[in-house]
Amino acid sequence: MKRIIYTLLATVTGVVLLLSYRTSLEAVAPASTDATGGATGTDSGTSGSGTAGSGTSGSGTPGSGSSGSESAPGSSSSASPSASASASSGLKDGSYTGQSTETRYGPVQVKITVSGGTITAVDVPVYPTESFRDQEINRRAVPQLVSETLKAQSSRIDMISGATFTSDGYIGSLQSAIDRANA
Amino acid sequence: MTTGEVHRAAWTDEVMGTVASIHVIADAADSIDPIPNVRACFDELHEADRLFTTYRDDSQISHLRRGTLRLDDADAQVHSVHRACVEAKTSTGGLFDAWHQGWFDPTGYVKGWAAERAAIRSLEPLIRLDGVYAVGLSVGGDMQLFTAPGSEWVWRVGIADPLRPQEVAATVEVVNGAVATSGTAERGSHILDPRNGSNAVSVAGATVVADRLSTADLWATTAVVAGFDDLSWIAAPGVRSGLVISPSGAVRRWAQGVEITQWNGSAAALF
Repeated sequence: MKRIIYTLLATVTGVVLLLSYRTSLEAVAPASTDATGGATGTDSGTSGSGTAGSGTSGSGTPGSGSSGSESAPGSSSSASPSASASASSGLKDGSYTGQSTETRYGPVQVKITVSGGTITAVDVPVYPTESFRDQEINRRAVPQLVSETLKAQSSRIDMISGATFTSDGYIGSLQSAIDRANA
Repeated sequence: MTTGEVHRAAWTDEVMGTVASIHVIADAADSIDPIPNVRACFDELHEADRLFTTYRDDSQISHLRRGTLRLDDADAQVHSVHRACVEAKTSTGGLFDAWHQGWFDPTGYVKGWAAERAAIRSLEPLIRLDGVYAVGLSVGGDMQLFTAPGSEWVWRVGIADPLRPQEVAATVEVVNGAVATSGTAERGSHILDPRNGSNAVSVAGATVVADRLSTADLWATTAVVAGFDDLSWIAAPGVRSGLVISPSGAVRRWAQGVEITQWNGSAAALF
C-alpha cells in the first residue's frame, strides 16, 4: 500500500519534472527515473535528487524551441497513465505528500489527494520558477487562465476554440473578427 | 527555418451548420498558392456533410436509419466513422454513445473526425512547402493545427469564455495538435447524457488539447457528459491537456493526465 503511494508520488513528481524541465528530450528521462528512485524511500530527505536537474546539463537545448517542447508531451504521456492506472487500484483515501526533490532550479514537492480510490487532486506546493525559459515552455503545457495573467489579454490570438457556433452565430464571433482581419 | 516576417491569409466557408476557417501563415503574401489546397479542404468537409448529415433524407446516415442502405454498402468514410464510434463508446465507458437514440447517429463525432481528415489530407502538405510556417483549420471552434518543422511559429489559441460572450477565458499554445471545445455556450444546453437521456449541465465548457482533432472533440464532448466532478478520463490516449469550466465559473485544469490544482504564488502568475 505504502509502496504504491510512493511510486505514485514519484510518478507524479516525474510528471511535474517533465512539465517543468522539458528543455530537451535528454533531460526528461533522467528526471523521472531519479524521482522514482528517490521517492520509494522515506518521505524525508532529498536523496538522489540533484540528478533530476543535473540531467539537464545540456542546457543549451532550450534553443531547440518549439519542436522540442512539443514532442515532449508524447514522451511524458508514458508517465501519466501509470499514475492513473495504479490510482484506480484501491488506494486509501487521504492526502499524501511526496519527498522534496532537489533540482538545479530548486525543490519540487508534490501532494496527491486520493478520494474514492482515485486521485482527485495533485498539488504542487513547492515549485521552481527560476528559469524563464522553463516558464515559457511550461506555459504551453497547460491552458493559461486569462484571469491569472494580464499578459494573455493583450497577446496575439490566432484561433478561438469554443462550443460550436451556428452559421449565424459566427458573424458576431471572435473567430469571425480574427478571420476578417486576415482575409 | 526560423520565423521571420509573418503573413497570414484566412478563408472561410459555411459547412456543417457552422463556419470553417483556414489560416495559412507564410513568410510572404505570395510565396505559395494555397488556394487549391484550401478548396480541396472545404470540398472534403462538404462531402462529409453530405454523407453524414441527419438534416437531409438522402444522406447515407439517413438511408442507414431507414434501412434503405446496408452498412456493408455504405461509403468507406461511413465505415471508418462507424468503427471509430464503436471504439469511442468503449473508451468513454458509454459516455459517448452514437446509438443512444436507438439508431446510428454519429453527429457528435463526425465534425471533429471530418475536420481532422480534411486538414491532414489537404492542408498538412502545405507545411512542406518553402516559405510556409503553419496552417490550421477550425470548424466551428474545433481545430487541427500544423507547424512546419524548424519553424518557431506557435499557435496561440484563445478558449472562449462559456460564461462571458466575446471574452476569452484562457489561452493555450500549440505547435502541432488539435483543440476542441464542447459546452452549452453557443447552442444552449444540448449535450445529452446517454446514460439517462437528461441534459448534461454541470460543465459550461470543456476544452481538450490532443494530438488529433477526433480525439480532442470526442473527449471534450465526453467531459461535458462526465461532469465537472469527474476528471478520471484525462489520461486517455492522445489527450494532452485541457480545462473544464463550471456554470459558476470554477475551473479545473490538467496536463499529461495530471490535474493541476495549485501552484505556488509565483508560478500561479504564469498560468
